[in-house]
Amino acid sequence: MIPLTGQDMIYYLAIIAAIGLAVYFLLETSRRPKEPETETKELLKCIKCGYTIEKEYSVGDFIGLVKDKCPKCGSPLKIIAIYDVVKKTPEKTLKPPKQYT
Amino acid sequence: MPEDNWSLILQIFWIIFFIMIFTGANQRIQMKLWSIDIRNKLNMIRRYVEEDKERVSNFMRNLGLRNPELVLKKTLDFFTIEPVTIEPTDIIKRMDHLIRTSDKSFREIVKKALPSLGRYERSLIETGLSIVSAIYMVYKVVRHYLLTGEKENNWILLMQLELLMPQILKIVTAYHKALDAFTTGKPVGDGIGPLIAYRLIEEGEVVSKRVIDETSIYEVKLANRRFFIIKAEGPGSNVGHPGRVLADLVDQLNGNVDLIITIDAALKLEGEDTGEIAEGVGAAIGDPGPEKIAIERAASKYNIPLRALIVKMGLPEAIQTMRKEIYEAGEIAVEYVKKLVDRLTSENSTIIVAGIGNTMGVPL
Ligand SMILES: [Zn+2]
Repeated sequence: MIPLTGQDMIYYLAIIAAIGLAVYFLLETSRRPKEPETETKELLKCIKCGYTIEKEYSVGDFIGLVKDKCPKCGSPLKIIAIYDVVKKTPEKTLKPPKQYT
Repeated sequence: MPEDNWSLILQIFWIIFFIMIFTGANQRIQMKLWSIDIRNKLNMIRRYVEEDKERVSNFMRNLGLRNPELVLKKTLDFFTIEPVTIEPTDIIKRMDHLIRTSDKSFREIVKKALPSLGRYERSLIETGLSIVSAIYMVYKVVRHYLLTGEKENNWILLMQLELLMPQILKIVTAYHKALDAFTTGKPVGDGIGPLIAYRLIEEGEVVSKRVIDETSIYEVKLANRRFFIIKAEGPGSNVGHPGRVLADLVDQLNGNVDLIITIDAALKLEGEDTGEIAEGVGAAIGDPGPEKIAIERAASKYNIPLRALIVKMGLPEAIQTMRKEIYEAGEIAVEYVKKLVDRLTSENSTIIVAGIGNTMGVPL
């Protein structure tokens, strides 16, 4: 092997640095923030006592539909909202969900 | 490696580099890279178009249509030509006419294909088709500029396209994802206006109900006041004609209205929070013009205070299934409307509240 001179070292370092930079920029531009996965829920409210419960959405349900019984007083429950929530991933949550007061 | 070789390589490198700069060959390389990137993103849009076409076709097939391809073909290329704007006389009238004719023709295509279907299912199909047609239109335009740029070596065109692609892709993806809500009939973010209207109707005591021009008008007694609540007729995918209906209502009441409140979803600025509520003045409605001007004219004709309440959200959130944050903002907005009315009017006054937006999934 030919011994490296100081000059050679600089060239090699420059080449390595250039490649490193190129790889870094490529990674930086190709990385996209992933959108959180969502699932649809429905909010049911008891007609009588006002008890509310959140359930899984099932196809065909609509706002105003009366379904199921209230676990507290046995009166019918009415769907008052259908919405998407971010699927909770138990292993890592970076930020607690925002609360509206 | 001997030092001579290195300097020779460097010399050659610099010579090539300068030749490239003077001849513009470097630009060619960059152009090639751009067009490869644009092509990749365009292919993504094409996949969306194919996928969404398939989904809408399947949706129609499930509802009993034997060959949905014909309907797709007719609606994908459907267009409406904008009215002349250099002569502004009756532009609103002309625009309104064109919008209505366009809606009607689009509906007739679906109605002809599926005559036995109910209005609700038809409205979902119509919106589904218009989503596919919107994505397809974007695909065609981007493809046009890409091919033109390549053919004519127009690197400025390609550069603009390359810089715009992320934004275009974001919008297209939002539309693509919106199809899920529109094929299942779930409420979308834009439906927050009608949802607030629905909530107000439920809370009050309904006196009378009318449906004019696909728009519901409920006369409701609430908080010792006479409310007229206007919303698109639900629960299909429908925005109604709240502006025209509101204007007619004000005329019928001879202008004896103490307050008009319009509630709508509004696009948030980047950095603002989804579900933020803001109060303002004016007609909160995002139509091309006819509906908005009708509200403004009615309010100014009789000198009625015109208040607006908006719930902020991003474009994807507005056209996809309603997010919980938006629903919760709606609940706050209901209380907000009641407080606003309390502050601005006395008992026994007449108030018109219009919940603007697509009422899909929201009944009444
Ligand atoms: Zn109960």
